[in-house]
Amino acid sequence: MSSHEAEWEGPRGRARRRFTWSGLLWSFIYPQRGNRIVPTVPGVILIGLAFGIGTAAYNSSSNILFITLSLLLACLILSGVLSWLNLRGVQWRLVLAPPLRVGQVTTVVLELRNQKRFLPTYGLWFEFSARVMDDAGAAAGSTISASAAEMKRIFAKAAADGQGERIALAQRLDPKGEGRVEWTFRPARRGRVRVELVAVGSLFPFGFLRKGLGTATRADALVWPAPVEYRRQAVATPRRRAGGERVSRLGSSGDLLALRGYAQGDSHRLIHWKASAKTGKLLVRQFAADSAQSHALWLRTDAAMWGEGERFERLIGFAGTMAEDLFRTGRLMRVSINGEPPLPVRRPRDLEIWLNRLAVALPAREALEPEERPPSMAGLITFAPDGASGVIAIMSGEVTAWA
Amino acid sequence: MGMSTTAAPRPQLTLDELHHLKWVLGSLLTLVGLGAVFYLEVEAWTLTGVTAACTIATMLRPGLPARVPGFVHTLAFPLIVGFFIADVWRRGEVLPAIVRLDILLLLYRNITYRQRRDDLQLIVLGLFIIIVAGVLSVSPTFAVQLLVFAACALALLLVVTLADSLAGPAARAPLAPGAMPAWAKRADVAHLIGRLRAVLDWRVLVLGTVLFGGVVAVSALLFLAIPRFQLENSMFLERFIAKKAKTGFSDSIRFGDVTEIQQDTSIALSVDVSDHKHIPASPYWRMIVLDSYEGGVFRMSSRLKQRELMPERSGTTAGGAVRPRRGEAVYWTFYLESGVSRFLPLVGPFQTISFHEAQHFRVAPRLAMVALREEPVTMTAYRVEDFDLSGTVPDLRFAENWRARTEGAPPREEHQVALPLTAAEHAVVERAVAEATGGARPEAGEFARLAGEWLRRQHAYSLAPQIPAGEGDALVRWLASRGSGHCELFAGSLVLMAREAGFPARIVTGFRGGSWNGYSNNFTIRNSDAHAWTEIFDERSGAWLRADPLGSGASAADEVRGEAAVASRLDRSWKARLDSLRMLWYRRIVSFDQQAQAEALQAVKDVARSSGREVRERLEAVVAAIKGWLAAPWGWTRGLGVAGVVALAGAAVWLLGRFGPGLWRRLALRRGVRGEDPVRREAGRWLGRLGQAEPAPEHAEVRADLLRLRFGARASWAKPEAVFRRARQTVRTARPRGRVTRS
Repeated sequence: MSSHEAEWEGPRGRARRRFTWSGLLWSFIYPQRGNRIVPTVPGVILIGLAFGIGTAAYNSSSNILFITLSLLLACLILSGVLSWLNLRGVQWRLVLAPPLRVGQVTTVVLELRNQKRFLPTYGLWFEFSARVMDDAGAAAGSTISASAAEMKRIFAKAAADGQGERIALAQRLDPKGEGRVEWTFRPARRGRVRVELVAVGSLFPFGFLRKGLGTATRADALVWPAPVEYRRQAVATPRRRAGGERVSRLGSSGDLLALRGYAQGDSHRLIHWKASAKTGKLLVRQFAADSAQSHALWLRTDAAMWGEGERFERLIGFAGTMAEDLFRTGRLMRVSINGEPPLPVRRPRDLEIWLNRLAVALPAREALEPEERPPSMAGLITFAPDGASGVIAIMSGEVTAWA
Repeated sequence: MGMSTTAAPRPQLTLDELHHLKWVLGSLLTLVGLGAVFYLEVEAWTLTGVTAACTIATMLRPGLPARVPGFVHTLAFPLIVGFFIADVWRRGEVLPAIVRLDILLLLYRNITYRQRRDDLQLIVLGLFIIIVAGVLSVSPTFAVQLLVFAACALALLLVVTLADSLAGPAARAPLAPGAMPAWAKRADVAHLIGRLRAVLDWRVLVLGTVLFGGVVAVSALLFLAIPRFQLENSMFLERFIAKKAKTGFSDSIRFGDVTEIQQDTSIALSVDVSDHKHIPASPYWRMIVLDSYEGGVFRMSSRLKQRELMPERSGTTAGGAVRPRRGEAVYWTFYLESGVSRFLPLVGPFQTISFHEAQHFRVAPRLAMVALREEPVTMTAYRVEDFDLSGTVPDLRFAENWRARTEGAPPREEHQVALPLTAAEHAVVERAVAEATGGARPEAGEFARLAGEWLRRQHAYSLAPQIPAGEGDALVRWLASRGSGHCELFAGSLVLMAREAGFPARIVTGFRGGSWNGYSNNFTIRNSDAHAWTEIFDERSGAWLRADPLGSGASAADEVRGEAAVASRLDRSWKARLDSLRMLWYRRIVSFDQQAQAEALQAVKDVARSSGREVRERLEAVVAAIKGWLAAPWGWTRGLGVAGVVALAGAAVWLLGRFGPGLWRRLALRRGVRGEDPVRREAGRWLGRLGQAEPAPEHAEVRADLLRLRFGARASWAKPEAVFRRARQTVRTARPRGRVTRS
């Protein structure tokens, strides 16, 4: 899973639209979806005062009251102008650092910068939300196309679930300065999660109006299943040989297994200079690993067998945790799910692919055909239900772990 | 969750400092609001003084509110409510009681630590006092006060928003009674001022000032543009407050009362005249006619009231005794300050009178008098069309009665000739008449002149009258003496003498003269211009003649008028300049109505149209001139001249391109105004040049200095000019990098 870094965005979105007076006027009549302007208590008082003074002015024809009314209305206009100036030139970018895992704290960083020449920005707040999307993807509950009321509802629900929060920018954002806001949350479900900056809001300058701008800033990520605690049992394997078995799997023994292209982070000692000189591109050596026993995981997700509830989630978590543990000890060769082709696991990236696959795994509606089943082999671990909600891992017909 | 920003070059106020600033602004707001009480004329001086003192004390020592005992907070609400109820019950005036309640709440809000809603309450309370004072006084001070208040209130709201943003929702918990917030423990006004100076960016300050100027401008535009409807009703707050007129201008006066008014130099009346040709050199602004004299008191008799004052009516216009005449009407617009009188000053009989706001009033056309029902608590504006400036008040009905008297002998007092004196007093007055007239029996006008001269011979004018002690009528005693006296004594004595001689006579009080403001072009009449004079009935003309024993003696008809009269009263002093602002306020703001709005909009339209036309005409003229110049015959001389100009322009452009950027950099270096520090930029430039040179040990020092200028703290800098000079020398002497030299 790679880092999700969005582009810089501002109050008017990514693309800077050309300013037109007609556009400005039209925006007053039909504001952009998601934008909210709600009067606060001082705002309601101001409006009430203006209304009362206006009524008194018309009833008494008193120019003193008309002056006061004019001043109150001018203050309201000033408030709007300052609010616009405050938000102008502010840009933000959402940075989401993987991996995300159910139940583990995830930090979302919003980088900020103020592009104005000499005006600082004050008193902004940012409403974040994280929502697991269903199979329909972005269409489900997008805040970009949602109305203000829908957004409010979405955010309220997210906040109630602990998947949304309002973070205030307490410090001043200086002209040409940068800042960052961090939001942490714990994903509640595995799957495809969308972290969104739902709105940028402010009470600046006078607190008359609570102004919120809907934004299109978001980042998608996969949430891996939560680690599951399980008990293991040593498996007696009759074919196990002393000294271990040489397997075609990446490791750190002295036997050269293959060559591959250089990737950033590879040790320079692994570069195969001769081969690199011949081919004209950097190649690194891959060695075979020593292993006492290598395993393959095969996961069946038949709905008839697992249902859709807690046991299924336990199965997914179990498969992920076991894969990680086996990989960590260098004993994982392949993984596969249902009838999908087996995935060799040589590098951490392969394990990430497996966890990503598990993140979006769903109960299979149809039973597997016989030819879709992987051939029976030594070290193949499969899973089966156990009791009311338990899951067991089976290898060579014997239970090797319980969860 | 968390938040951070990059290191800020300017410091930022801490939460404690923001709270302290909020507190100070709230105190200032309170003081501005209390300032309005001074011209509201509500009896709340003690309460206002206490509130102001407490506000200043708590502003300077924010720790003081923590010392207020807890039971004060417990009892505050019931005590304040009880105070208000008792106040209304005891005095029976609602609006003053509300104002006092407002001040009391302001006091309480300044001796307790305020939450957000309390700050809002403070703003509303202060605004209420200012609006009430503005509506009731219609004073130009209101505009200044409202602007200052608005600036303070906006600043307070801004600080409240920033403090809330910094503190977050958790910090909004109410403070326990008697507890002192952390910011108050460390509060120091001098420190706060120092911090504010450090925090403020002059550009932001300038922008803030410009924006506030924009608010004022937008307010003015909105004021002009807000649609007006003439609803023809009034008495909005006025009905809730009573105001007493200054003594001397009621329908009953004693000797000495007018003199008291003369000590007051404040403005009583401002008058606009549409046609300056009609301005008299010595105008008399008549207000009240006092026909009855008894026991040393002149008063307007009930009989005269019943007979002359028409029934009360409500509205904005009323007719007078003068008939419409041909030619363009002359309009006199009066702005009568509050507290002067409910009797409106007028120059004489008039054709029509109209009020800016609807009024309850009674008119006496034959007396040239208009009386409002109540003493106006606010400035009263009215406009009069066409005065009779002859100085006489025709009264045909009285003339008929007077003639009837000679035939049928009706009661004397009805004809304003009653003289309730003892025989001895009659003898004194009779002797005075005889001395004045020399035993002759002149006409009314001549008698008034002779009597006036006699009075001036016998008595000097003085604001400190010398009335001999003794029994009987004080006025007769003064008449018989040679003591000095004021206008009232002169006018009263003339009335006695005229009545003794058989002429109907009466006293009229009002103002005489006034100054002509050379800036705003209007009459300004002050309370010190208060005057009393006599009117004597002339049987031959059937009119009351003005007879002022202290006047010039010239008749009104013979007076100079127009520009000469203006010149004789012209006032272009600094005081007049200040008074002109008041007049501007009355003309353009207070009297602004639907018609004025239409006129203003039309004026704006005309100006826009005419200026557009003017610009177009000028452009056309310029284009025509260029065309004409090009079409003129070309010769060597002309060609050379043009070539020279083109060459000069080219040279200027080249010079600008060659040396302009350098000059600009030096200028920026000197001024220090750019986004990036010019010293740092210049240091970067020299570092770049030095980097192109071959490294040498002797460069290390200047490179270090340049690096310090480029990236180091300002305190560690050497003198930039000296470093740049050394850098220039080093670059000149250094060998370029990579160049091979031959030996």
